[in-house]
Amino acid sequence: MPQMTMIEAIRSALAEEMARDERVLLMGEDIGTLGGVFRATEGLLARFGPERVIDTPMAELSIAGIAVGMAMKGLHPVAEIQFADFIHAATDHIIGEAAKIRYRSAGDWTCPLVIRTAYGGGLRGGPYHSQSIEGFYTHAPGLKVLAPSTPADARGLLIAAIRDPDPVLFLEHKRTYRLIKGDVSESDGVVPIGRAAIARPGTDVTVVSYGMMLHESLAAAEVLSADGISVEVIDLRSLIPLDRATILASLQRTGRLCIVHEDTRTMGFGAELAALAAEEALDVLKAPVCRVTAPDVGGIPVSPPLEEFVLPNRDKIAAALRNLVTAQRRIWAVADQAQTAAPSLDPWTRSALEIPQAASMVEVDLGRVLAYQAAHKAEFEARGMALELTPFVLEAAADALAAFPEVNSAFEGDHIRRYGSIDILLNVAAGDTLKRGIIEQAETRNLRGLALSVHTVRDNGEAATLPAGGTFSLTDLGQDAALFAVPPVLPGHAAALRAGAVSERLVPKDRGLALVSQVILTLSVDHRVLDGATASRFLNHVKAFLEEYR
Amino acid sequence: MSTHIEKHTPEQANALEQAMLDIPDPPAVELVAAYRWMLLARRLDERMWQLIRQGKGHFAVPCQGHEAVGVGYALALQRGHDYIAPHYRDLSAVLAYGITARDALASFFARDADPNSRGRQPYAHWGSQRLHIISLQGPQPNHVTHGVGVAYAARMLREGSVTLMAYGDGGAQKGEVHEAMNFAAIHHLPCIFCCENNLYTQSVPLALESSVVSIAARAAAYGISGVSVDGMDTLAVYRAMTAAAERARRGDGPSLVEARVYRFRPNTSNDDDTCYRSREEVDEWRARDPLTRFRAALEQREALSGKLAAEIEDEIAAIVDDAATWAEAAPNAAPQDALLHTYAEEV
Repeated sequence: MPQMTMIEAIRSALAEEMARDERVLLMGEDIGTLGGVFRATEGLLARFGPERVIDTPMAELSIAGIAVGMAMKGLHPVAEIQFADFIHAATDHIIGEAAKIRYRSAGDWTCPLVIRTAYGGGLRGGPYHSQSIEGFYTHAPGLKVLAPSTPADARGLLIAAIRDPDPVLFLEHKRTYRLIKGDVSESDGVVPIGRAAIARPGTDVTVVSYGMMLHESLAAAEVLSADGISVEVIDLRSLIPLDRATILASLQRTGRLCIVHEDTRTMGFGAELAALAAEEALDVLKAPVCRVTAPDVGGIPVSPPLEEFVLPNRDKIAAALRNLVTAQRRIWAVADQAQTAAPSLDPWTRSALEIPQAASMVEVDLGRVLAYQAAHKAEFEARGMALELTPFVLEAAADALAAFPEVNSAFEGDHIRRYGSIDILLNVAAGDTLKRGIIEQAETRNLRGLALSVHTVRDNGEAATLPAGGTFSLTDLGQDAALFAVPPVLPGHAAALRAGAVSERLVPKDRGLALVSQVILTLSVDHRVLDGATASRFLNHVKAFLEEYR
Repeated sequence: MSTHIEKHTPEQANALEQAMLDIPDPPAVELVAAYRWMLLARRLDERMWQLIRQGKGHFAVPCQGHEAVGVGYALALQRGHDYIAPHYRDLSAVLAYGITARDALASFFARDADPNSRGRQPYAHWGSQRLHIISLQGPQPNHVTHGVGVAYAARMLREGSVTLMAYGDGGAQKGEVHEAMNFAAIHHLPCIFCCENNLYTQSVPLALESSVVSIAARAAAYGISGVSVDGMDTLAVYRAMTAAAERARRGDGPSLVEARVYRFRPNTSNDDDTCYRSREEVDEWRARDPLTRFRAALEQREALSGKLAAEIEDEIAAIVDDAATWAEAAPNAAPQDALLHTYAEEV
């Protein structure tokens, strides 16, 4: 298979599409006789003639505006903006026109044009020949934005862009033009728009990047592999539309996300990727999302030490990845809470020896909860979560703990400590085993967040040992539960709640008998902190919350 | 007032102006059709203004005073073949091109039946692929470069069509028009630049927009033909546009036609023109009403009798009533339709 540089791959795609379709034409500054300042269009004027290879005036606004008109009339113009830094004069026609024409005409008019432009730094170009512009243009619905990093993708995506029915901004990192070579076959067809590629598989951390930074990320991954850190590198290729599924699937495997781009930080494309992780993958993240970007400075300086300081590179990426893989899981971090007794005794023994306990129980009618469950089951299942009873009990318990802060506390010898947040140690059945984990700040989570948390405890929780910490405990064994059981109050807690089995009962209702689904909830309390009256009020609050659910 | 009219001085004779002299009148049937479109535009405009005052609709863009320009160029072009990117006051042109009274009022009420945008764009943002009306945008006059692109494409596709772009004296001051005209002149494109100079960009008078009184004079800078005509004289516009279209079709390249007009009403329903124009000035221009003058010209040519004029008036009143009633009752698009048409396929 022949090797091509990026610039050769781009030229190959342009020539192939021009030969295939007479409606394809090229326009831009210096693209004809000179063949483009980077030689992307070299030889094409001689081959296709001046009507289809137009050397335009140095006027970016009208290059874009006239290309819009050509596309509206049925041509497929490929306009070159010589440097991405110069594109802003054409912005109105790209964002205000090309991206909106289909929408504003309700599909009557379309604008299938491609705008190619050379972006990116590292070539001592200074503030006006080095910029990355994707942050502006990925915020323009109606426009597709591609940023290939390999010759095969550059060729295949450019062909796809020219054939696409919508306007496409095609970003070519100018440092890749001659630096990056790869196998490309002329017989290869299109690379589909909207699909990311896994450039390097790994298990410890996911790097998402594109363009030149993809290659720097791969280099960093190679360095880290020597230390036994396995980095998965995703090449986005297409920024808009974004391949969310590939990113989320990778995060399921690694639980750590590092985003790398050359563009400046605030409102850069990485912010959208971080938002995606926050919205759809928070439960699997083991550490905060990390971004390696240019700082928010006014431009990329021409002076080599200054430019190198500003731009990300393999060393900066490797350093960020090392931090990321050793970072504590803040979301699921085991709380570092004071434990007053000697650590030599296990918590159950300490529970029995140190805490005088009393138990209370209530029966709860689950009619409303089950109705809600039935109505929202599909919605949860679509997100890969079973909607079981546990999240509802968690929600009710968190609500009651907020209402009765004295229950969210611990006896500490000469005083009672009230906790500032509600961190529930959850015990759930997972197959034949029991999994344990702490849901921090349960009072801030909604039902979906709690369902995700249950899911995470079941997948990633501790099986053998009891995690230290938490402010309250809940045990729900689901179908394996006994009718009821008395849970031990753990050291550092003042109460423990246990859900029994769900059973159907005939109960008196409206002067007759009704068949209802019930569960028995048992609350154990530390009698030094709480009395039976508070325990009952707390349980009745939980009961009312569930019986009057939504 | 008189200074404004004096400033509208015609350009010196050039190729376009010479060619205009030889253009005969269109046939009587075309003249009567043109009168109908102008009258329909006027009556629809009056109705929309009333509706806005009643708190109905969202936005009105008056066309009164500009009707002769739209009809003049529509008559000169091959409707349905040649492309137009009209000025937003060119209701008369789009009616001639096939937009119906119901279409116009569906657009005014932003109904689903609006063929221009199905309720997405405000009134007067015309566009129809089928009718060869290039989709219009908000920022003026971005459609001028689009029209140049359409003209280039039409020639490359060997269609033989001409593309006309109409814009205001305000739009003429933007770099957009310079870049478009420069490119069109370099490539001898079959297109017509039509500048409707009504002396104001909303509130800003021409003297603060341009140091040169004649917009048409700018044609010389591009080596193309330019002419300034009385834009409230339908047949004068028709002659200039016909000559320009013939030149374009022959391969003589683009022309610039400046049509000197005056807008009778405020800029839009959100404007108050009493802040920047005297009533005396407006009244003086109203005395040059293009509709009255065109009717007189037709009567003089015996193309329109008093009886026929009365019949047309009644017929158009009925069309306007029907369109207003129908459009007001027409359904809006379903709210979730707002999610459609960003891309060819959902992404």
